[in-house]
Amino acid sequence: MPSPPLRQARLASLRAEISALEEGARPAAEVIAFGDARIDGRLPGGGLALGHWHEFAGEGLELETGAAGAAFIARLALPLAGRGELVWVLRRDDLHAPGLAGLGFPADRLIQVCARDDDEALAVLEDALRTPGVAAAFGEVEAVDLTAGRRLQLACEQGTGAGFVLRRRPFGGRSRTEAGSAAATRWTIGPAPSEPAAGEPGLGPPRWRVSLERCRGGRTGAWILEASEQDDAAHPFRLVADLADRHLAPPPLRLAG
Amino acid sequence: MSVAETSNRHIGKHRADTPTPNPSPQGGGEQIAAPFALIASDRGVRRLYAVDEAAAALGLFVGQKATDAMALVPELVIDEADPEGDHAALIALVHWCVRFSPAVAADAPDGLFLDITGVDHLWGGEAALLDDLLDRLARQGIPARGAVAGSPGAAWALARYGEDRAVAAPGAEAELLAPLPVTALRLEPQTAAQLIRLGLARIGQLAGTPRDQIARRFGAAVLTRLDQALVRAEEALMFSRPATPWFARLAFAEPISAPEDLARASRDIAERLCARLLAEGQGAGRFELAFHRLDGHAQRLAIGLSLPGRDAGPIARLFAPMLERVDPGFGIEVVTLAAERVEPLAERQIGLESIGETAREDGIAPLVDRLANRLGEDRVWRAEAFPSHIPERAVVRRAALTARAGPAWEKGRPRPVRLLGRPEPIEATAPIPDDPPVQFRWRGQVRRVRRSEGPERLAEEWWRRPPGETAPSHVRDYYRVEDDTGARYWLFRAGLYGGPDPPRWWLHGLG
Repeated sequence: MPSPPLRQARLASLRAEISALEEGARPAAEVIAFGDARIDGRLPGGGLALGHWHEFAGEGLELETGAAGAAFIARLALPLAGRGELVWVLRRDDLHAPGLAGLGFPADRLIQVCARDDDEALAVLEDALRTPGVAAAFGEVEAVDLTAGRRLQLACEQGTGAGFVLRRRPFGGRSRTEAGSAAATRWTIGPAPSEPAAGEPGLGPPRWRVSLERCRGGRTGAWILEASEQDDAAHPFRLVADLADRHLAPPPLRLAG
Repeated sequence: MSVAETSNRHIGKHRADTPTPNPSPQGGGEQIAAPFALIASDRGVRRLYAVDEAAAALGLFVGQKATDAMALVPELVIDEADPEGDHAALIALVHWCVRFSPAVAADAPDGLFLDITGVDHLWGGEAALLDDLLDRLARQGIPARGAVAGSPGAAWALARYGEDRAVAAPGAEAELLAPLPVTALRLEPQTAAQLIRLGLARIGQLAGTPRDQIARRFGAAVLTRLDQALVRAEEALMFSRPATPWFARLAFAEPISAPEDLARASRDIAERLCARLLAEGQGAGRFELAFHRLDGHAQRLAIGLSLPGRDAGPIARLFAPMLERVDPGFGIEVVTLAAERVEPLAERQIGLESIGETAREDGIAPLVDRLANRLGEDRVWRAEAFPSHIPERAVVRRAALTARAGPAWEKGRPRPVRLLGRPEPIEATAPIPDDPPVQFRWRGQVRRVRRSEGPERLAEEWWRRPPGETAPSHVRDYYRVEDDTGARYWLFRAGLYGGPDPPRWWLHGLG
């Protein structure tokens, strides 16, 4: 058995080899870092990869309203806002721009597109992702099947931005059967009770219960994130609590000397 | 200012006393020889409204009593006049005439004006254009007269009273108009009658009379009409679409109908117009492509650009998906393309300082154009703040690539991420008036309120309602609340406690 450092190095080189095989011949993609090693360490490349699309879903009524999820992805894409155009594809035009502006999002630059059905929304999202100059494209769709997901991925590779798919059934009803997904990461987003600063009345900054369900080349995890107070576009979130499955990620052993 | 107008060449076209351009049941076959008249009731008396050539040859005239006419010519075929149908047919002719010039004005009840400035060369001259127009009308069974002159008034006079198909050379209008009767000046009938009674029967005589005397005796309107006819004064015409010099036309010796031919024609004509736009440093925001069929119908397609453009390729690509809607019928003989919203567009230098970053013209603008033309212009927008405190009115939609013109977003008034199109009623339990509810039921589920903020009182905009319609029940107290899962809601209570109606609770936003 090799000594631990050697083993670590070999593991790292194997991981790099696997990711190189997965990514093809492309160089390592740029990422949006959360700014906290406890999250970034679980994502390949140390953050949410650009040139890919990411899937976000809610549970229960959130799957119909998509309120917490929309706020989360708007906040998540803040580091991209200065880089280019922003497109949001809707099926139900209930996105309220002043609410997005309250999250620091440049809502008056956002181009909103209302599609008539899921297929049209996916086509518009694909078209937007393929367009040079688009930094982030958001899409609210019920489901992305494997073919559509693959097409989105190809569009991301041709374009200059990242895709954010919010799974939403905007008019209620039964959800479609789930198929496999080609997303780079898959997240479940839900609201979490906020905590205003001590002694202050009212509501605190919004919080989300965020769970990374699937991550190609990385590890899953769960956290509670809060919108950071200062208008810091580089780090839109503050980690409040790590809900990660402890058995999957054992804390590093501390050796006493 | 008058320079531009005097150079305009107008065709005034006169449909000589045609009963109606609508094909009437009496109009065909051997009955063409029978005298025909339309009658209409004028203050209880049935009078002739229009007569055809056969009837006119028998001495019948417009305005004659129908009973007198029937007594004189028992074989007269009559029908009810249909002025509205005539007008609709005239408007249809206006649309048909766009194949000759984009600027066509209806001159009710029976005339058309075409501004043919700058388009006659497509036919090889004004006379050739006029011949083509009148021959085509004649083939459709519409008898018509026409003339070309430097002003609408002169063209009108020549078409109705001059030699048919007269083409007045620039500056020759006064000479051609001099022998015509003064009724050719579009005067009030009483004024014309008075002029004739006083011996001023010809336009030449009137033009030779001192102007101040004419104005004193007959009013300034006569002078205005005279000047308009003699190309000395301008006249505003109500064109069915604004006159544009940005117009291209492709005519085919052999009518086309195959889809690939339509696609090629739309590309060719776009290249032709865009080359002119490029040469003059202009770009256009809207293009209208029209396919003129052999049977006289025109099928129009329009596309809009978010930023003015003049690249033929993208424009033809935007038209491409619409071409399948075009029904070529028996074939398409003419294709026209008109550019609107033309404005100066600077030449762009590509690929020097902007390496690595994408110009809006290359990236987002074509995307917005594709989406707006495919989904509809109202489905692609950008939100902008509007100075109103009513949440529904605080956001307006603007075209996607316009620069921000309105105020910045208001800070300090938190708003939800989702705003419901119409508020949904909820059952709320609020033990203390003016306090947020402790729990509420929405969509059959009880939600316990953990934290809340408010109220933010929003009164209605009383200045937008008629006086007396404002009511306390329109006052809304908004609360931001969070339930025990952390989900956020934007609720309001409509109405005040102690009023005639108990207040009601509504859910207006989420997140």
